[in-house]
Amino acid sequence: CVCVCVKQMEKVIVAMQDPDMGIKMRNQRLLITVIPHAMTGVDVITWLTQKYRIGEEEALHLGGMLVRYGYIYPLKEPRCLVLQPDDSPYRFQTPYFWMSTRWPASEVDYAIFLAKKNIRKQGELMEHEKERYSLLHKRINHTWDFVVMQAREQLRTSKQRRKADRIVLECQEQAYWLINRPPPGVQSVLDMGLERPSNQNLRVPLNSDFYKREIEASRRALGRNRVKSSICLEGFVKYCEQYQDHDPIMLGCLPSNPWISDDSAYWTINTEIVLVPTRLRVERWSFSFMELLSDPMGRKEFMTYLEKEFSAENLYFWQACEEIRHGESSKIPQKVEDVYKNFLAPGASRWVNIDSKTMDKTLEGIKRPHRFVLDDAQMHIYFLMKKDSYPRFLKSDLYKNMLSRAMVPQESKKSVFPFMRRQRHSSPSPAQVVAHGTEEDERTGGVGQAGTNSTTGARV
Amino acid sequence: MGKEECKTMLDALNKVTACYRHLVIALGSTSDSQNLREELKKTRKKAQELAVANRTKLTSLLKDKSISKEDRAEYERLWVLFSSSMELLEVDMKRSLEIGQEFPIKVPTRHFIQTGMTGSTNAVAARAMSVQNMKYEADSNIDTADLRDLQTEITQVTQMVEEMEMKVQVAPWAVVAKQEAGAELKSNMSVGNSSVGVISICEEEPKDDESGGAREGRSASIGAVVVFFVIVGVALVLGYLVINMS
Repeated sequence: CVCVCVKQMEKVIVAMQDPDMGIKMRNQRLLITVIPHAMTGVDVITWLTQKYRIGEEEALHLGGMLVRYGYIYPLKEPRCLVLQPDDSPYRFQTPYFWMSTRWPASEVDYAIFLAKKNIRKQGELMEHEKERYSLLHKRINHTWDFVVMQAREQLRTSKQRRKADRIVLECQEQAYWLINRPPPGVQSVLDMGLERPSNQNLRVPLNSDFYKREIEASRRALGRNRVKSSICLEGFVKYCEQYQDHDPIMLGCLPSNPWISDDSAYWTINTEIVLVPTRLRVERWSFSFMELLSDPMGRKEFMTYLEKEFSAENLYFWQACEEIRHGESSKIPQKVEDVYKNFLAPGASRWVNIDSKTMDKTLEGIKRPHRFVLDDAQMHIYFLMKKDSYPRFLKSDLYKNMLSRAMVPQESKKSVFPFMRRQRHSSPSPAQVVAHGTEEDERTGGVGQAGTNSTTGARV
Repeated sequence: MGKEECKTMLDALNKVTACYRHLVIALGSTSDSQNLREELKKTRKKAQELAVANRTKLTSLLKDKSISKEDRAEYERLWVLFSSSMELLEVDMKRSLEIGQEFPIKVPTRHFIQTGMTGSTNAVAARAMSVQNMKYEADSNIDTADLRDLQTEITQVTQMVEEMEMKVQVAPWAVVAKQEAGAELKSNMSVGNSSVGVISICEEEPKDDESGGAREGRSASIGAVVVFFVIVGVALVLGYLVINMS
């Protein structure tokens, strides 16, 4: 952030002013005028090197930043905002023109500056200045009289100072505007790229169009649906309560936690397709339709049920749409074509019942197939199944049988010795458990085959 | 005529605004001093007096429903001039608070920035106050005491500006300026070569600021030298004639 940098830079600048430890000043000699308080590039670098005990390269970089942010300005080549490590002269900028001011340059200020320059140079402004001048004349035309009046008055005021001070004043102003309104092609230090703060948008003209847009945006924001946090939180609590028994970390898992007991039975009985699913798994199918569909066994059972009901084409269609959404891009047109032939065309073998509006939209979209072209139709069928088939499935005999047939794995039997218990719950410190484990092994070795100590079994 | 009075008051406010800005630019630099703080304070107070006077006059003129359309347009233009002046003044007052706090005077070691400006600003302040010479009578703790006053005054000015925006029914963007682009070039200001115009600090050529000074210096010194020799020559001729005659 610029703000942090510039505050630090200011500390450096103030330190340079110290009467004892500060930087050495020289006089700048113009033919009849002598202006004090000039320093060379070498002076700056030497001072920085000594004061902060840094290398010359770093001092050059730091000094360069002081110049780029306008705290020091060059006297010989004002447009070249670089610290030259030689005897080129530089001077400090007055605090009024420091970058850290909370009230940055405004368009009116710039217009006044250009008008002053116009007067001094008798109209001989640089090309880009002339362009900006005309642009400003259009943009802030309503206050242009003020600009001209103030420009004239400011010039009259500076005539009250002596010649040397007038020169310095001009140099200061020129340096300030070279940084705040850099000539075209020069990168502005105020432009911070991706980190650009949003108040750059203040450059937008505050006219009636701007306000109309703001009003419209606020109106839309008011109309947005919002959910009360009490309701959101209720939802969270319900979800946690429902899933708590199914969470191995909260309640442990049967037969045992493989990470602790080294018995991978838990994983074997919960693979994608098993002969007999666990009870917890089958229970989860009743939590939500998505749970059922995302479990391959659940989906298989549901398919069996739908075939009995003669509405299996819905699930086949949904699956086909999923394949398109998550599949290879190159195969999309072909897949969409197949889906159309099998599910959407009149007289198709597995024709799905979609409402006419969605059907028309989908058929139109199929002409230019892409990944999400079947989304609307898929969503329609999904909700159809969810509202209709799914509740009946849960009440069906098929599901109830599955539930009763589902197995509940036994917690591995406790051994005779009380401290050789199976680790069902995850322990807070695995290190503790490992120490325990090695103890157990020693004892089992000693005792022989006493107790169903499946640790040794698993190791085989 | 209300219009002329308004214009004169606005000119005065404009002058004081320009002077105030000039003084704030000197804050924190080697031109800073106790006198400068006092000058700032006096100029500021003068600006506020003028502001209040202007506002009263303009609002009473704008409230008058019986004025003609052209008159109304003219008053709106003057109103925009006035509010622009106030905005400039407000920002400069805030800046002077910012800088004044950072660069106190009453400290064992002052760290004013050595900007190369070393002359005094009392001519500027005198111009603002429309006096011949400035009188300095402040105590030594002006920097801290004045900052508190300044904060209150800034609040007052901000409030005034806000009130102006709310209460006065003038659409600033609807005002058309009288001056066209480049109007300042047709000014009655003398832009002779003694003004700051000739010190062109580097446009195309790098060494301009020295050569700029040199150009002017050379012409001035050549002129002086020529005049000197002419006078010496005349003196010699007269002397010779006198000696010859006697």
